[in-house]
Amino acid sequence: MEVRPIFSALLRNKTGAFLISLQIALTLAVVANALFIIVQRLEKMNRPTGMDVDNIIMVASSAFTQDYDARGSLRKDLDALRAIPGVIAATPINQIPLSGGGDSNGYRASTDVPSHDGISANNYMCDEQCVDTLGIELESGRSFDASEITFREPNSSFFSPGVLITRALGEELFGDEDPLGKSIYDGLGRSTTVIGVIRRMQGAWVSWEGLERVMVRPEVGLWPYTRYLIRTEPGQRDAIMPVVEKTLIDLNKERLVRRLTAHADVVKHSYSQDRTMAVILTTVSALLVTVTALGIVGLASFSVSQRTRQIGIRRAIGARRLDILRYFLVENWMITTGGVVLGCILTLAFNFWLVSEYELPRLELVYVLGGIAGLLMLGQLAVLMPARRAAAVAPAIATRNV
Amino acid sequence: MFAYYVRLALLSLRRNPVLTGLTIGAIGIGIAVCMTTLTLYYIMSGNPMGRAGEKVYAVQIDSWGIDDPFDDDRPERIPWEFTWRDANGLLASDVPALQAAMFKAAAVLQVANEDIQPSMQLLRVTGRDFFELFDTPFLYGSAWSASAETAAEQVVVLSRRTNDEAFGGENSVGQRVRLDGRDFTVVGVLDEWDPAPKFYDVNNGPFDESEDAYIPFTLTVPLELDSAGNTNCWKDEELDSFEKFMNGECIWIQYWVQLDDSDQKARYQDFLDNYVRDQQALGRLERPIDNRLTNVPDWLDVRQVVANDSKVLVGLSFMFLMVCLFNAVGLVLAKFVGKAPQVGLRRALGASTSAIFTQHLVETGIVGLAGGLVGLGLTQLGLVGIRALNEHYEVLTQLDVVLVSGTIIIAVMSGVIAGLYPTWRICRVAPAGYLKTQ
Repeated sequence: MEVRPIFSALLRNKTGAFLISLQIALTLAVVANALFIIVQRLEKMNRPTGMDVDNIIMVASSAFTQDYDARGSLRKDLDALRAIPGVIAATPINQIPLSGGGDSNGYRASTDVPSHDGISANNYMCDEQCVDTLGIELESGRSFDASEITFREPNSSFFSPGVLITRALGEELFGDEDPLGKSIYDGLGRSTTVIGVIRRMQGAWVSWEGLERVMVRPEVGLWPYTRYLIRTEPGQRDAIMPVVEKTLIDLNKERLVRRLTAHADVVKHSYSQDRTMAVILTTVSALLVTVTALGIVGLASFSVSQRTRQIGIRRAIGARRLDILRYFLVENWMITTGGVVLGCILTLAFNFWLVSEYELPRLELVYVLGGIAGLLMLGQLAVLMPARRAAAVAPAIATRNV
Repeated sequence: MFAYYVRLALLSLRRNPVLTGLTIGAIGIGIAVCMTTLTLYYIMSGNPMGRAGEKVYAVQIDSWGIDDPFDDDRPERIPWEFTWRDANGLLASDVPALQAAMFKAAAVLQVANEDIQPSMQLLRVTGRDFFELFDTPFLYGSAWSASAETAAEQVVVLSRRTNDEAFGGENSVGQRVRLDGRDFTVVGVLDEWDPAPKFYDVNNGPFDESEDAYIPFTLTVPLELDSAGNTNCWKDEELDSFEKFMNGECIWIQYWVQLDDSDQKARYQDFLDNYVRDQQALGRLERPIDNRLTNVPDWLDVRQVVANDSKVLVGLSFMFLMVCLFNAVGLVLAKFVGKAPQVGLRRALGASTSAIFTQHLVETGIVGLAGGLVGLGLTQLGLVGIRALNEHYEVLTQLDVVLVSGTIIIAVMSGVIAGLYPTWRICRVAPAGYLKTQ
């Protein structure tokens, strides 16, 4: 392979090649880091929730009269919601999982642990249909029955004697031991017993490290402001949503029925920052690759038109079309290789900046390697069209005076 | 002469439309990506109070428990907000020119007009100084009076948005509204006011809209108002009644003061230190005295209102712009080198190097300008896209004069920078070489 003469020829026209190399280097730095961030965000958004998010509806009821019968209307609301055809289960709940709003408390495995060293976990307070409504799976123990539910007045303080916890919270509290039947203490030293272990359930804040630390308590607050979750048969959610709204509105005029939302949309909203970042980065990366590819096409076309006569001469003295084609491919390969070598340094430098300034994780090598392979291929593809035009130059052109 | 150069440039640009289009497109895309992320960053990092914010301070005292700092990971941080007790303790001071304690609440609003459905409204429960402190514009009426505040009268200032919905934009001062079933009298209506970031309460959504209505802080206890915002507690205590909650060690109230000069600031700092010492004598506030006054621009910085994501994007997009510029340099260079015979001829006929230089610089300037205009259009498209992606950014994404003129300046500069090296190259063309073969 005639590598040396191609390299010498390249040195005769350094500027163009250098500019392309620089573009390749910067593109590698941006795209490798961007891809890494995109994959992380996608993984974060696709973690299993443990719940039947797609078939759950949320709705809130805000009473605005001062003598509102919270207990009575709660009963009527739940009876009516559960009677809607296609509804599997419904529960009142203090906070909506994965909504960005939530309660948390510190819990301890024994009173010997100082209360300020408790493990923070999200609290969900709901009734006997909670497990069915959320679609969570108990890996051991049992759910609540109706007699275990405590109805709490506003501002009251209470800690149920039996609760459900997630396996993740159990591991934090008891290590490898089975949490079923164990006692848990709150900050005030009140105790409860674990009657069931939830395989997995995500809590309130999607960017919190303790997202899967959840306690479900058989309690229902009698506040003027109530949230309900309703789980429907698969595929019936959108049809049932308006029925839910109408049912609640017709039952009681002394309150506002608000925030009727598919749970999937609540979750989507919580991840909007991550999704925005992923979409922007994908767009930027795609544009960048396009711009770089067009740059290669532009400069290669230019160099082909500059060298038309030389190509003609080469063809006239015996070079085959394939030789000409190969010439441009090899030349591009050299330029791109130069670019990715410089690009590796830039990529690592850029990642170092991201790690130190913004606490992002360190880049994995596979993204650099993938980026290099991708750019080498992109270069070859981009140069193919101009190179084929070059190969099509007729030898006769050499005899012509331009 | 300049007009002639412009004509020449246009002629030259038309001769090679593909190359010209690619160059303009490269600059345009680079600028659009850059300006879209910069717009996000610029508005996020904006100081909606401007210079006036330098005299307006957020107050902080370290009311957290002795065992752990407020933020384990960042022990230098102290609570951002106040307990009810401490907020009221501070209100006793007469040092600040203006001061307001505040929190976010929610209530259902009803009006006499039956056609208007009841609706959930976000409230800011605060003092009358709030309006002067933050210089809020009034459309009708004014803040409630000091006597109304002391007497805890049920009065309300509506936002323009709420007044438009509830009263069709008419002057509603003196009218009655019901909030959670209680009668309130409208005393004022604000004009459009949506500071971004919402610096006075970044705990509860720094880019949320401002609240729908404002009611006196003195109503908190008589009406047993609950906060609809963030509440953080460190103490393990039984909070099973409204009274116990109010006396508890939970923080949920923001506190702002205006201090006009350094003397006033020093006196207020003294007041705070004395207050904390008094409380310590009562057995509260066990942590070391650490009282802080932070003005609006510093507060936005301390609270890290600008998301890291947005800073990363600005860094990335400047690298993107560089790629686009290198690209443009390459394309312009290709084009100019192709023009070398023509330049050689013109030089031979007597054109000076400086004339050639100016001519080509005009040409690249035009490319830059066109790239800027394309970029401006694409930026708008990018912002529409971001608004569609993320409802948090509703208030964030409007281009203003600064941003538009910034875009144009960056664009023309990009064009000129991209054209400078090729122009310099073309000026070195020796006429003789190109005359030979003709």
